[in-house]
Amino acid sequence: MASDAVLRVANVTVDYPLGRAGLFGPRRILRAVDDVSFELAPGECLGVVGESGCGKSSLGRAILQLVRPTAGSVSFDGVDLCRLSTAALKPYRRDLQVVFQDPLASLNPRMTVAEIVGEPLAVHRPGIDARARQREVDRMLERVGLRAGMGGRYPNEFSGGQAQRISIARAMIAGPRVLVCDEPVSSLDVSIQAQICNLLRELQRETGVALVFISHDLAIVRYMSQRVLVMYLGRVMEEGRRDAFFAGPRHPYSQALIAAVPVPDPDRDIAGEEALLAGDPPSPANPPSGCVFRTRCRHAVAACAGDRPPLETLDGGARVACGRWRELAGN
Amino acid sequence: MPSTPVTADRAPAGTTVLECRDLTVRFRTDRGEVAAVSDLSFDLRAGECLGVVGESGSGKSQTFLAAFGLLAGNGRASGSIRYRGEELLGAPPETLDRLRGDRLAMVFQDALSGLTPTMRIGDQLAEVLVRHRGLPRREAQDRAVQALAAVRVPDPGVRARSYPFELSGGQRQRVMIALAMLCGPEVLVADEPTTALDVTVQAQVLRLLRGLRDETGSALVLITHDLAVVAGLCDHVLVMYGGRAVETGPVREVLRAPRHPYTRALLRSMPSLTADPDVDLAVIPGQPPDLENLPPGCAFAPRCGRAHDACTADRPALRATGPGRASACHLDDAGGHHGV
Repeated sequence: MASDAVLRVANVTVDYPLGRAGLFGPRRILRAVDDVSFELAPGECLGVVGESGCGKSSLGRAILQLVRPTAGSVSFDGVDLCRLSTAALKPYRRDLQVVFQDPLASLNPRMTVAEIVGEPLAVHRPGIDARARQREVDRMLERVGLRAGMGGRYPNEFSGGQAQRISIARAMIAGPRVLVCDEPVSSLDVSIQAQICNLLRELQRETGVALVFISHDLAIVRYMSQRVLVMYLGRVMEEGRRDAFFAGPRHPYSQALIAAVPVPDPDRDIAGEEALLAGDPPSPANPPSGCVFRTRCRHAVAACAGDRPPLETLDGGARVACGRWRELAGN
Repeated sequence: MPSTPVTADRAPAGTTVLECRDLTVRFRTDRGEVAAVSDLSFDLRAGECLGVVGESGSGKSQTFLAAFGLLAGNGRASGSIRYRGEELLGAPPETLDRLRGDRLAMVFQDALSGLTPTMRIGDQLAEVLVRHRGLPRREAQDRAVQALAAVRVPDPGVRARSYPFELSGGQRQRVMIALAMLCGPEVLVADEPTTALDVTVQAQVLRLLRGLRDETGSALVLITHDLAVVAGLCDHVLVMYGGRAVETGPVREVLRAPRHPYTRALLRSMPSLTADPDVDLAVIPGQPPDLENLPPGCAFAPRCGRAHDACTADRPALRATGPGRASACHLDDAGGHHGV
């Protein structure tokens, strides 16, 4: 990965306090993100995938400093955001923006659309006069596929897909360099998902914004991303370039995730029992020893419970954390 | 499920267990009446799996809520839905109470709100058997544990003593399915049963549903927004749009060669693991229809790339286009050739 990364996430760990085990017991923590590192080049899209509870949303929030990482660094343009005070962070907020899953919940119901979309300009370019701001808002609304005249309406007058367009307009208006999208199409109808995915792709091409695209849907991640990062119980299991990753996932967890994706092909069966994961992910509050995936891995052997497999960097930059992947690839 | 008492009078495979004719569901609102389902007809046969596909507001859930007598207070249904000849619409509460949870069962998307939070899982399952089958509580409890084992809940004996909040989302959905299958229903309706679950767990639950269908011969209705989910599980598919059936037929044929422009567009707009990811997704423009303001002609016309004058003037009827297939489109003259 190039040295010109716009975002460099290094060894980020996010702990949430769980309270004490019993009245006088030790303080317990839930490690939602455990030693995650990656780099993001300008204009690139990194897809972050995993099941619920894998820490992908916490990672997104840590990048945005909406939760402060317990350890590690998040460098934007070489500046470690984790070391900045809330006040010192403010100028960086225009560079790092976010689109959440539920658009209606993330839009203030008492503000008009024009106020919502224009607010980042008011904050980050306080000198801008009202007319210029209005022009910018109208331009942005039209860019995301809404009519400029809709600016006077309130969020509850819009469908989910339109509301997500408003969220995207708000996120993009100040010209961010990094956009974190946390399940941005998961709550939308199928016919609307494609509209929003295409819009994000166009904006990425036009503005060169880099995306961190968090999703549980591998088909959408394949469509959106140049690289894919697979997380399980807070840890990176595998990372790779899109085509290589989908053509030959190395980690047994990645293989199982891809096998489970339903496809609209009547000749392809639902993934067979042997390819399916048994059960649910264990609680992140009490992760297994050694490889955290071993309790659901059909290739697990006794050694997997011992040392945690390191995240190995391979030729070409792909990374994989499995003690057996070479051996399994040989079969 | 093999361990549960199966009533003797099951309809033989292939005979119609649920017959829906000209179903219309309307809701009274402040702004007048809204039709959520219009003139819907379909048959469900014993042992068959029917996928009902549509976006929000397509009427797919309301259809079956009407069949089960579970419409909201401002809703009313007309037409006919018969279970083995017995009319369900307007049936007295005693009839519905006898059938629901026994012959007719339903699984909802949100498994947590479908379970009583203050009752142990095993007690909730046992109660169904005590009520519908008159089993002694002790025996019902044993069968509850067997039912949990049949849907592959791990440690079923332990889990029977758990409360719903102690289970994961996937396990709760298994419990809901166990609950629905307890009396060996002839019709199981699963409304977006996997939408709230992770893909890995979704695949497990779909496999489970198919296994139960194969073992018990129950007819299965899978309500979903996802055509991909239908592909692996269903025999027939009914595609709904704006409260009406727009296309119906065997899953294989509909997915291979969809006839209605909406079905075609829906399939093309879905990202897949095989299409070239560098090509933009085909998009269905516009928004899903607003039921309060349905256009006079075809509800899909405002979003259809091939709509012409007739489409906005007259509503196309659902017409047979081949054996077991039908489509509601002016552009689809039965059997005739038409471009994609």
